[in-house]
Amino acid sequence: MTDDVMRFFAAWMLTHEVADEGLKAAVLRGDEGGAEGMSGGADAFVDGLAAMVAEEKEKLKRDLEARARGEEVAIEQPRDPALEEVRFEVAELRGRLDNIESLLETLLRKLDR
Amino acid sequence: MASRSSVIVWTVLAHLAAELPSARFGLASAPVRRAAWARGLRRAFERLGPAFIKLGQLISVRPDEFSDELVAEMRSMQDAVPPLPAEAIRSVIEAEFGVGPDELWATFDDEPLASASIAQVHRATLAAAYRPVWGESLPAGADVVVKVVRPGAAASIRGDVAVARRLAGLIARTRLARRFDPVALLDEFATTLERELDLRVEGRFSDRFLFDFRDDPKVVAPRIVWPKSTARVLTMEFMRGWRLTEIEAAKAAGVDCFGLAVHGATAFMRQVFVYGRYHADLHPANLFVTPDNTIAYLDFGIVGYLTPEERMNITQVMAALVYRDADRAMRYSERLGVHVPPDRVEAVRAGLGTLLDGTTRPDGTRDFAHFGLGFLSLLGEHGVRIPSGYGLLIKSLATVEGVARALYPEIDIVATAQPFTTRILGAAMGDPARLRERMPEAVRAALRVLLT
Repeated sequence: MTDDVMRFFAAWMLTHEVADEGLKAAVLRGDEGGAEGMSGGADAFVDGLAAMVAEEKEKLKRDLEARARGEEVAIEQPRDPALEEVRFEVAELRGRLDNIESLLETLLRKLDR
Repeated sequence: MASRSSVIVWTVLAHLAAELPSARFGLASAPVRRAAWARGLRRAFERLGPAFIKLGQLISVRPDEFSDELVAEMRSMQDAVPPLPAEAIRSVIEAEFGVGPDELWATFDDEPLASASIAQVHRATLAAAYRPVWGESLPAGADVVVKVVRPGAAASIRGDVAVARRLAGLIARTRLARRFDPVALLDEFATTLERELDLRVEGRFSDRFLFDFRDDPKVVAPRIVWPKSTARVLTMEFMRGWRLTEIEAAKAAGVDCFGLAVHGATAFMRQVFVYGRYHADLHPANLFVTPDNTIAYLDFGIVGYLTPEERMNITQVMAALVYRDADRAMRYSERLGVHVPPDRVEAVRAGLGTLLDGTTRPDGTRDFAHFGLGFLSLLGEHGVRIPSGYGLLIKSLATVEGVARALYPEIDIVATAQPFTTRILGAAMGDPARLRERMPEAVRAALRVLLT
């Protein structure tokens, strides 16, 4: 039983190691060559994506280390896009009303003549 | 109407006849002949007035439909006409508002800034502050530009479009219509022109553009003054800076041309890949760089729109270029309506592979125009019809590359597109609907790899 558990964890560790090496190789290909250095084709996209994910990981690591040192880390909080869209639509409606008001004034001016 | 038809036909024939010696009476090589006919057509269009000048501009953004010679010739079309006297412009303003310019603006300059086939542009200053749809308020006394549709332009354009539609019907029955559908082109042209004749459409696009780029202080567009605007008069913020044709002066003033080149290209990609609406008439006169290092987009007369599905498919085609993946380009072009007959698929894929491998310039940067325009010709050679909009977008991207290279010759627009497309496609991977659709196949593929 002990042997089986050991084999199970060994297999699990090996899977992780192989996956990790594969990912690191993809990051390296995506990172070093850029699109031009890659072989091209479907796998090149995966390499490019892996390189960008690795960059994001490094940024996350830096943020976590800074937080561990007690530094303030600004976390970007994007505004709610739906709310922003409503803000624009209301503002656009105001612009249209300004325009209509001006047209009505023109109409009155013409009728007054 | 009949007399106008005769004038159009005779003007075109006379200008084509004038090119006969250049075409050596039809005995010159095909490119020389095509260039001569294109020159004759361009001169005839300039002579025939606003509707035809606009038709020429529309042809110049459709390399998918017309020969390289005709597109190049129409690109050089001059849309500068002698200015109308100030009285004529003042009378349009008075007809629109019921009062003259002196009561609408604090100052109004009778000397035009520019005069084109559809509209004339004058400088003025605001009499009162105005809070625009988006962005900071414009104070009283702020410099503005007043764009006024030339009197009679709408009627003459609509009349010419009606005549041209009849002529297009006749051309459709001849072999001249092998490469393009003249009636469909005329319909597209009429829609574009109707939009241009109502200046409020341009104003609304400018508002929307400002909103889309609200988080990017380096990209700007004119703010619109709606109480002083109608269908025939548009009042907008005056943008200070240099046109891209005056780039040396901008460099001398310390503008960061490399930064703006990269930023301008990224901003265009954002319009296409993120918002699906983009400035489709970019040329050096429609882009300004300003003294405070921003890039200003002007004149939203011709704009392109994409559905969310088209947007994603176009992102995939761009990713195919970035990662030199011919299969991806073929698959997603098909979804955009580029139907390659089964017996031509292999030949087109091979040609595409060669194009993708040949996009690198001697300086190591990659050439989008070589790929994009090469792809359009490749499809043309194999008799594949290119859907409306696809050619327009490819041409727009090629123009953006040209504009960016005017700012900074070493820019690599494909490298600029790499993080953009990768990020968008990476984000799309997390879409629950897509995951649900693709997961069974992904699990099957993983099991195949593990078990074989």
